[in-house]
Amino acid sequence: MQKSNAIEVNNITKKFGAVTAVDSVSFNVSEGEFFGFLGPNGAGKTTLIRMLTTLLKPTSGSAIVACCDVARQPDAVRREIGVVPQAMTSDLDLTGYENMDIYGRFYGIPMKERKERINYLLEMVGLTNRANDLVATYSGGMRRRLEIARVLVHRPRMLFLDEPTIGLDPQSRHVVWNFLMKLRDGDSITIFLTTHYMEEAEALCERIAIIDSGRIIAIGSPDELKSQIPGKDIITLAIGNLSENITNAIKGLPFVHKINIENNNVRIYVDSGAHNLPALIDAVRSEGGNVASATIHEQSLEDVFIHYTGKTIREEEAKKVSFLTGAGVPLKWGR
Amino acid sequence: MGRLIAVIERDLRKFQRNPVVAAMSVLMPILYLVILGNSFQGKLKDLPIVVIDHDSGPYSRRVIENLRAIESGQKIFSIVYLKDQKMALDGVKNGLYKAAVIIPHDFSKRVSIKKVPEIGLFVDNTDGISSEAIRNSIEGAIRSLRQEHVSIREKQDEIYLRGIDLYAKVDYYQSLVPGVVIMAIFLGTLTTGVFNLVMDRFLGMDESYLLTPLSKSHIVGGLIISGLSITTIIAALVLTVSMLITGIPLSKGFEQCAAIFLVVTLTTLSLLSLMFVILGRVNHPRIVGILSGFLNVILFFPSGAVYPIASFPDWLKAFAKVNPEAYAVDALKAILFKGANILTILEDIAFLFIFTFAMTTIAIITFKRTL
Repeated sequence: MQKSNAIEVNNITKKFGAVTAVDSVSFNVSEGEFFGFLGPNGAGKTTLIRMLTTLLKPTSGSAIVACCDVARQPDAVRREIGVVPQAMTSDLDLTGYENMDIYGRFYGIPMKERKERINYLLEMVGLTNRANDLVATYSGGMRRRLEIARVLVHRPRMLFLDEPTIGLDPQSRHVVWNFLMKLRDGDSITIFLTTHYMEEAEALCERIAIIDSGRIIAIGSPDELKSQIPGKDIITLAIGNLSENITNAIKGLPFVHKINIENNNVRIYVDSGAHNLPALIDAVRSEGGNVASATIHEQSLEDVFIHYTGKTIREEEAKKVSFLTGAGVPLKWGR
Repeated sequence: MGRLIAVIERDLRKFQRNPVVAAMSVLMPILYLVILGNSFQGKLKDLPIVVIDHDSGPYSRRVIENLRAIESGQKIFSIVYLKDQKMALDGVKNGLYKAAVIIPHDFSKRVSIKKVPEIGLFVDNTDGISSEAIRNSIEGAIRSLRQEHVSIREKQDEIYLRGIDLYAKVDYYQSLVPGVVIMAIFLGTLTTGVFNLVMDRFLGMDESYLLTPLSKSHIVGGLIISGLSITTIIAALVLTVSMLITGIPLSKGFEQCAAIFLVVTLTTLSLLSLMFVILGRVNHPRIVGILSGFLNVILFFPSGAVYPIASFPDWLKAFAKVNPEAYAVDALKAILFKGANILTILEDIAFLFIFTFAMTTIAIITFKRTL
């Protein structure tokens, strides 16, 4: 049976003055799907999620979320969705329980139902025994779990999470992941998540859109995306005296699909990497190449990103941070 | 309704968890009363003047006696006696004295032969308020001397004034109380209501409720009502303590209490809604800081709390006509010092009510429901 769409986005665009943050983006998300938006900081993920959750009006294009058009019926959309923004938004001066209770009242949930729901959710995120402590005493991970639980009080049909594990230590990140996985497997809720962590998108999402500079550059399940890259494995060789003859020799090998050169490192997309590595090194040496090191890894979404953009996500971020510091903004402000 | 109450409760709980803020909101206006009352004391006191008597005759002694009487009675100035005229004048120029009174050597002689006696008065006229007060009181001292030597018959056309106070005496300290209460309300409305929205916006917390189905009226209305509850409590505390400090009788009738409550409530609402209109789109607390000083000056000083509105130039009088604090001060003065009830201050109440309604409407319309 064809699942109906929970989100339908048509050529949505957002401009801030001369800057186009989101550039004519279109995609659909099915009911019950766990959908991820992957891209470097500044790619337009937050702007997109803010348009989908009624916080920003699109410059052009449209989006239907849950039931209604986000620009025309924002109130109806708000009733159907739960959103965990990137910034921590729970009140530090209130207890965990109070935070959830007041939030539930914003939705007009009756007291009895609210109480049951809050206790259930606090149990789910493992905060029952801290429920009556002020949020100011919580760790970052606890606060994030509380915020996810909070937006589920009104039983939303859709959950939006903007970089839910940013700034968390690896342990807290796994706790959040586990909770999201439980939610994905147990409930019929549609989840829309943005992240710049490859492993997060890969671990959680059924389908991923890769976004860069406000445009979707690829969309599909993690496996589909990876299968679009020729070759299953990637061998990276560091060659001190790289020359055109050497690269031609590599390209000439039958098991090589594609190569990328960054400085002295050659990324080679191959079939059966472990099996073919000796032959590859022989070919380089036969042209007088000096192999300083060799690594083999299975393709990841990082490679998908590189495949489509020719650069790594980390490079993209480094560029953005140096731009910020160059403009006189203290480094701590550039994440 | 439940949503509105949730907005109010969130704000009140947060305030309640910050007792330092609450304590400061009460203490500051009371300190203000003490500092303003003592630095700006209605009448001037203890201004240093220097007297040089070159004459030492019977009439110069009479002048000095009169000056001493003022020194010990009204205490406008305190006198230093010197012989050296240059030293005295240098002292005035250096700011050691506010004025020098110089009695020339032929003063008594000129009085007795009725030949236009003169006394030199050198004042530091850069300090306008002091020099004017000194000039007036020294003129008074000399005038009384002149009267003694003028026959009564020539004085038939002189008109004597007999002052009749309509109300119980209000001293300067007491007259500041309405202003201090208004100041407490101003501070309260600046640190509650829209300020919490500015802080939420600054910290990125506003997203959490902008994402919910709360309407503009829920958010604006809720913050105004929570600000109202906090500020009226602060104002009531400040009023009671100020009355105790300045000795205004606490025993007011029910009508007066109701009138005070109504004026305080409407003033608070007026200022909360005004703040919402001015600060509704601000996203940094520093802007509130900069504006607070400015707003305090433009609302408080032309309110009539420290200086009568009747003496303002026309343009400032026109401003006072739309200044809610001016109506609030007028109403509170009437209730506290003239025993007015709600009916006698109806005009003030009507203005504050209309002002609140207009500002709240503008605040809700201009409030941005998106980021």
